[in-house]
Amino acid sequence: MFTKKRIIQYAVIAVLFCIAVFWIYNQLSSSFAEYAEERNFSEIELFARTAPDEMDKEDADMWLSSVSEMIPGAISAYLIYDEDLWDFVSFAGSDTLLELYDDNKGNDVFVRAIDSCYYLEPYVFSNLFPIDYSENKDGTAVDDSQLYFIPTADESGAFSVGAIIIAVPDTAVTGYENLMRVLLFGFAVIFLIISAILMFTRDPMTGFLVLALFIIVGLFVAFPIFEAIRLSFVESGHFSFEIWKRCLSPTYLQALWGSLKLGVLTATASTIIGFLFAFLIERTSFRQKKLMTTLATMPVISPPFSLSLSIILLFGNNGLISKQLLHMNASIYGLGGLVLVETIGMFPIAFMTLSGVLRQIDSTVEDAALDLSATRWQTFRTVTFPLAIPGVLSAWLLVFTNSLADFANPLLLSGDYRVLSTEAYMLVTGRNDLGAGSALSFLLLLPTLTAFLAQRFWVSRKSYVTVTGKPSTTLTDLTNKPVRITLEAIAWTIMGFILVLYLTIVAGCFVRNWGIDYSFTLDNWGEALSRGLTAIRDTVTLAAIATPIAGILAMVAAMLIVRKKFPGKRLLEILIMTPYAIPGTLIGISYILAFNKPPILLVGTGAIIVINYVIRELPVGVENGIAALHQIDPSIEEAASDLGADVNTVFRTIVLPLVRPAFISSMSYTFVRSMTAVSAIIFLISARWNHLTVLIFNFSENLRFGLASVLSTVLIVIVLAVFFLMNAIVRDDKLTEKTISTR
Amino acid sequence: MEKKSVSVTLEHVTKRFKNVKGKADVIAVNDSNFVIEPGELITLLGPSGCGKTTTLRMIAGFELPTEGKILIGNQDVTMLPPNKRDTATMFQSYGLFPHMTVFDNVAYGLKLKKVPKEEIKTRVDEMLSLLGLADMGDRAPSKLSGGQQQRVALARSLIVTPSVLLLDEPLSNLDALLREQMRVEIKKIQRALGITAVYVTHDRTEAMSLSDRVIVMKNGVIRQIGTPSEIYESPDSRFVAGFVGKAAFFNVEVKGHDGEHFKCALGEKIVEVKHAAPDVKDGEAVIMARPESLRILGEGEGKISGRVKLNVYLGSSIESFVDTPFGEVLVEIDDPFAKKIYSEGESVSIDFAPDRVRLLSKSEE
Repeated sequence: MFTKKRIIQYAVIAVLFCIAVFWIYNQLSSSFAEYAEERNFSEIELFARTAPDEMDKEDADMWLSSVSEMIPGAISAYLIYDEDLWDFVSFAGSDTLLELYDDNKGNDVFVRAIDSCYYLEPYVFSNLFPIDYSENKDGTAVDDSQLYFIPTADESGAFSVGAIIIAVPDTAVTGYENLMRVLLFGFAVIFLIISAILMFTRDPMTGFLVLALFIIVGLFVAFPIFEAIRLSFVESGHFSFEIWKRCLSPTYLQALWGSLKLGVLTATASTIIGFLFAFLIERTSFRQKKLMTTLATMPVISPPFSLSLSIILLFGNNGLISKQLLHMNASIYGLGGLVLVETIGMFPIAFMTLSGVLRQIDSTVEDAALDLSATRWQTFRTVTFPLAIPGVLSAWLLVFTNSLADFANPLLLSGDYRVLSTEAYMLVTGRNDLGAGSALSFLLLLPTLTAFLAQRFWVSRKSYVTVTGKPSTTLTDLTNKPVRITLEAIAWTIMGFILVLYLTIVAGCFVRNWGIDYSFTLDNWGEALSRGLTAIRDTVTLAAIATPIAGILAMVAAMLIVRKKFPGKRLLEILIMTPYAIPGTLIGISYILAFNKPPILLVGTGAIIVINYVIRELPVGVENGIAALHQIDPSIEEAASDLGADVNTVFRTIVLPLVRPAFISSMSYTFVRSMTAVSAIIFLISARWNHLTVLIFNFSENLRFGLASVLSTVLIVIVLAVFFLMNAIVRDDKLTEKTISTR
Repeated sequence: MEKKSVSVTLEHVTKRFKNVKGKADVIAVNDSNFVIEPGELITLLGPSGCGKTTTLRMIAGFELPTEGKILIGNQDVTMLPPNKRDTATMFQSYGLFPHMTVFDNVAYGLKLKKVPKEEIKTRVDEMLSLLGLADMGDRAPSKLSGGQQQRVALARSLIVTPSVLLLDEPLSNLDALLREQMRVEIKKIQRALGITAVYVTHDRTEAMSLSDRVIVMKNGVIRQIGTPSEIYESPDSRFVAGFVGKAAFFNVEVKGHDGEHFKCALGEKIVEVKHAAPDVKDGEAVIMARPESLRILGEGEGKISGRVKLNVYLGSSIESFVDTPFGEVLVEIDDPFAKKIYSEGESVSIDFAPDRVRLLSKSEE
């Protein structure tokens, strides 16, 4: 593969190509410099002719102020020809420039420039006098410049009456040059990699797919995070620790502490409830297992604001229960309310993790304990629970990370209680301080990442679970009747409470003014739908675009990771998985920081929202795909490729049909999550592209609970419909799935 | 379907696998050199981990040789991906597409070649009936028996009329009876189509009965190439001798060669041996004897004394285990009805003709 001949060939191509690119770059940059100079000249000359005839200093200042619109970043001054002194004297405009003129009047270059103005000839020189462009003259934006001297003539056009000095900072030019450099360099690198793939691999298609994935994750995962890190160290153009110092001040440390406290409480409560449900369903003779499982997964797919919204409706300052029924004055806003809402929203995560773990504990070990005359309680205490401990820890850590990253609930419910994710949001939207916002998000990343890594690489490896593939036929109920009835009662109470919460939202749709006027009305529907129609359309459109992209990308990535060998595979995996571990707030902020300027200007477009959906939901899809592919005998794909199918065809005709269940379920996951996203999206929406969840938030914040309820209901209906539809499709596929696994 | 048969050539092919922990590499195939003649069925035989499957996968294109060249016909295919090679592989696990019917499985290769629909139909039906699968076309592969699945895999490989057919232990998942049937079937079809074929197996009976030539491999190295009778009767090493059949080994000291026979000291006796592996020199060596080359005589009559330990009656023959100073020796007595059978516990001696045994060097390898 790496024969000498090929390497030499490649080196020659690479060198020639680099020379060519360098030449193009040189040509472009010099001709651009010339072009910029000429353009400036002609524009300024035109401008010079517009000089008002009789002007005082104020008129002149007014007139000069349009220069900076003409040439971005430029400053200007006006000199007037004093016939008594036979000289040009300072008159109006930028003090910096006037001082510069007065100080350097005698200087050769200035004399020449003034002379040429006297004879009505424009004059330009560059890079001789550094000029401070910053507004408050603190020396932070000193830059080399080009100085244009343009004479203004009297009516006859024969005599000079004054001169304009315009200083154009070099950065205006080098900014463009930098951009060109980045583009040409990127182009060169990509060309070289492509030609290397073509020359040194025998399967270029795989190479291109890997390259494409690397570009995608590099551009939309690594680059934004890098930018966010970089800009958290940059204060007004310079490297500094200022932002971090500010973020590590007591106020924000208190918010960090708030996040951690909320996380610990929520995780503990959720794990306990989750374990109760999992135990009830997996280890007792409880009847309505199916129903309970379905109900318990509801909060996961419902939109993030809906639970908070109904808690406010019931227990808020004007809540139905707190005010109307109990006449209390206790506030739900704060830590208590947050723990309540997050626990209800997140215990399903713990439940699903734990029921997976409990299901896989072979119940024969429990039978063995019972057989050795342990009581049921002893069996649970000494066998079942110890075996489930890794699962319990895992569930706890998962909920903990989710709670830390949670953004929607604190936004509505935190009141005076401070958590980091919303503080970051306030900094960004309230003070437009993106650097500090990203620094705060990084502060949040620290515990999140620790918990994530601990869950992933430590706890999940400690698992005692062994998959025997032999399902136990009978299950011994580990509870006696009173215990089971107690557990069931608790479970149904929680379930009932959750149902009440959802019903409250539905009720909210039909009430005129919640908290004050409970009369029935349909007005909310009309207003909400007319105001929310574009948001609904946008949300569905963007999610529908993102869904197939994320699905296919995930399966391609999974195929490459499982089946192909290529350098940097580990790195690619890490980059793909990264968005899963980092809070959405950080992703949102880093996207604004990275894509609000050239070369990639995406802020304000729908594309940035779609990209954000795809990147954030990719990890789950890839994991699904990897798990599915591990079930499939590699010789099936090899057989196809042996019969003449290239990588594309193998993917299209073999891999995709075989991983269809994983493919569809990751698409449905992407769709649901995209429809209900808040944390990153709230930073990325624009006047043109709105998101339903953000609109719900806005309505709730303005106490328009009726409208918020209607939109929440609409969102829940859409999401549930898609979710069950996709599930139905996957269920049809069980046959294929079976034949694959029983090869 | 007629197509000219091609040869397959491996030139100094070496395959190293990177060790997972980045330590020393594993050499799966070490400097393999051989030519498979057009239309020949060659078997790669060896214990598991000997590099036979890796060799096959390199010919198919699934693995890239670390060094060396692979030629199909006169074309260097080393750098070609599997889909660009004119080979078809039958996998140990068949690799049938579970989401397609039998018909679609077989038609897959033709569809990729953009063969017109009608032609696909006729050719697939033809191939299915050739392999006795005529009315199975619309079934799912998972609904077929092992032997039927196997034939579908064969049909799928053959229908694209490959120049080279590669078979990776295709019979190992079948029961004994079916295995024998399929063995014959594969051989017949291969002969009829004149396809060059490479067959990987660890089963010596399969290798012997199928192949024109056998390549015996161990630890990535080719130990011997030859026709089945050559490697059975004239192995060049103790490993090959032991791997391709039952054999007894007697330590001897070679004392010289008299123009026709080697003179060897076997214990106190001097015996003559006609054939020897090329690397046998004077000094220590072993005599390799197949069970059917040995005879049992009365005490003191033969070359090696011993005592019958166990007789196993097999109908057409008797296997007699004899304790000797060289260890337990297996003697196969053909046509036992006509011969004197020594009973268990009797003192006997073992004898062999000079041209029925072979001298090998002493090394265990």
